Amino acid sequence: MRNLIRYIFITLLVFSFLNSNSQEWVVADDIASIQNPSPYTLQNVNKGKELYLKNCKSCHGDAGKNNALPLVPIPPDVTSAQMHANSEGALFHKITAGRGTMPQFETSISEDDRWRIVNYIMNFNPANEPLLVDAPKINAKLLGSVNEAEKKVEVLAEFQDKDGIYKKLANTPVFINSKKTFGKIKIGQATTDENGRAVYQIPETVVGDAEGKIDIIISMEDNYTVNELLLENAKVCAPNVAENLFDEAVLWGTNDRLQPWLLVSYLAIAVGAWLAIFYVVFQIVKIKRLGKE
Amino acid sequence: MNAIKSPKDQKKVLDKITFDLTRPIVKRDELTRFWFFLLIMFVIVGLWGWIIQIDRGLGVTGMRDYVSWGMYIANFVFFVAVSLIGFLISSALHLLKISWGKAVSRVAEQIAIAAVALAGVIIVMDMGRPDRFLNIFFHGRFASPIIWDVSVVVTYLTISVLLFYLPLIPDLAMLRDKEDLGIPKWKRRLYKTLSLGWKGNAAQFKTLYHAMRVLMLLIIPVGLSIHTVTSWLFASTLRSGWDTTILGPYFVAGAFVAGASAVIILMYVYRLRYGLKEYFKDYHFDQMGKLLVFVCLVYLYFNINEFLVPGYKMKTAEGIHLIELFKGGYSSMFWLVQVVGLVLPIVLIVFKFFRKPLPLTIISAVVLVAAWFKRYLIVIPTLEHPFLPVQNVPEHFQHYAPTSIEITITLFAFVAALAIISILAKLFPVIAIWELAEEKGIDINQLTEEPKIN
Repeated sequence: MRNLIRYIFITLLVFSFLNSNSQEWVVADDIASIQNPSPYTLQNVNKGKELYLKNCKSCHGDAGKNNALPLVPIPPDVTSAQMHANSEGALFHKITAGRGTMPQFETSISEDDRWRIVNYIMNFNPANEPLLVDAPKINAKLLGSVNEAEKKVEVLAEFQDKDGIYKKLANTPVFINSKKTFGKIKIGQATTDENGRAVYQIPETVVGDAEGKIDIIISMEDNYTVNELLLENAKVCAPNVAENLFDEAVLWGTNDRLQPWLLVSYLAIAVGAWLAIFYVVFQIVKIKRLGKE
Repeated sequence: MNAIKSPKDQKKVLDKITFDLTRPIVKRDELTRFWFFLLIMFVIVGLWGWIIQIDRGLGVTGMRDYVSWGMYIANFVFFVAVSLIGFLISSALHLLKISWGKAVSRVAEQIAIAAVALAGVIIVMDMGRPDRFLNIFFHGRFASPIIWDVSVVVTYLTISVLLFYLPLIPDLAMLRDKEDLGIPKWKRRLYKTLSLGWKGNAAQFKTLYHAMRVLMLLIIPVGLSIHTVTSWLFASTLRSGWDTTILGPYFVAGAFVAGASAVIILMYVYRLRYGLKEYFKDYHFDQMGKLLVFVCLVYLYFNINEFLVPGYKMKTAEGIHLIELFKGGYSSMFWLVQVVGLVLPIVLIVFKFFRKPLPLTIISAVVLVAAWFKRYLIVIPTLEHPFLPVQNVPEHFQHYAPTSIEITITLFAFVAALAIISILAKLFPVIAIWELAEEKGIDINQLTEEPKIN
């Protein structure tokens, strides 16, 4: 009995402790002071936003709308002062470790991506200039060619200015992708120079079809409206010499790769059975003939 | 057998046998008409269901991406299984010189022909585009068990028809000449054609015996192949529940169980309906009961192997499948099939009382129904548990339940099989008269060739 009372007492104590703690989640200074290794760029903020929408929004709600789930404690909005009372290191720690109703993301989101979520939160920090602005998309145009001898892709990018005139687009990333059945896979990216030109060297590790050909798609970031450029049958890759498993004669192969013993066995059995049947039919004919004698 | 000495007695006995065994052919009463009316109605309804299925496609069935073999394939396996009894009784028992088998061999052949014919039909009915059946001949792969199966089903059907027909010839010749039995004229005309001018001379008998013997030997490998190859359709995949080396003999053993019970039921129906008590004797039921209990024991042995050994290991995918059978959604069906459909019959038929015609027929009916559900359990639960997780699909893709169209077409298949059996029973004697006479020591030639003997 005394044990039980002690147990209840300890449990209550622990609960009250946890409860009081839930009001304040203090992160040790050495952890809170870690600098964000992920630079505060539009690309990282965008990636962070994508991850936020997938992993965090269900509880924390939409940015600035204060529509978080009514949990205890209420998950703070990403624009709230409570959120931005945290340093970047502290935010990172809280995402990583979690506590109470806040899950840990250490095992499900990579370290780099967790920092990018911090990038996204910092977009709403009053001290920062917001990168996520609903700017109108810019019209752009892409021209490109493939240098098969040097295995390079050359791109010329232009954008339409306010007066509707196309001008060279400098210092902008363009993406080199390989066309696949259900979309595209990014191979790499290059940045345009001041003349709007970019050159991308296809890495030797990229493998094409049996002749080393791939279909290249050149694309740009989301804030540009651009017709993606398709360069078909670019012979810039290592040929695919992978062995075709169907070339081998296997038990379950097609007719042209049939194992001879199988065909012989099948035909021998089938023909043998039907020869015997025909023999019996011949006997029936013989019975009829014998009846006439 | 006690030979009947005097020719007069011989003739008397033969006349009685002939008279009794031609009653099914002559009998035309209300019940017969009603029975054929029922059969035709069901066949029409079934064909109407099939027309709907062809018109709207296989979407009208319960089959979806994961469970792509449903009740039709279960029916197919069931029919192939039932047909196998033809080979066991009319060939194996004959060659082993087990004489009681002669009385039931034509019954067994009727079942074999009906079942294997419907096995072929149901496969075509399972196809969304039946016209593509021809692709098997144009583009078939010799390495595919499906080609082997089509070959062996066609071969077995041919042999079964021949094995039904050959012992019929002397009977047909005898009935063709008898005018006093009341056999309709068109049937006698048919007998005349089919009896090939049989005179019953020694040379003809010799040829007949020879041809029958060739067929009986031939049907053994073909009969074993038909169900073994059917099992390979399953066993040559990696799916849990099918991926086992004993599936061939397991299917063959199960087939004898289904077929033997079907033969018992049909024997009882003939005995009751056509008053053939003296031909399908209690003795025959007793022997068939012993045969059934024997094949049931063999099947039980395979069942224990099939479930105990993988159940001991419970490999991941295999375990999911087995738990579904043992205590999951299929557990009641599974245990009913195993206990009521297999263990209980074995325990009962061991006692002589349960080998009497009526009890044995009731038990056989239970066994036959259980045999059908057993085929259902072989085909469907395995498909519901593929190796890759079933995800992002509508709820009804995950489980299979037959639709009314499938049930209609299944009914069609069974009714069509019954129709084939009924037509064969109305056309030809259900027991070989001449073999029976021979058994009783009657010289049938002497009596038919010279009917004016004193």
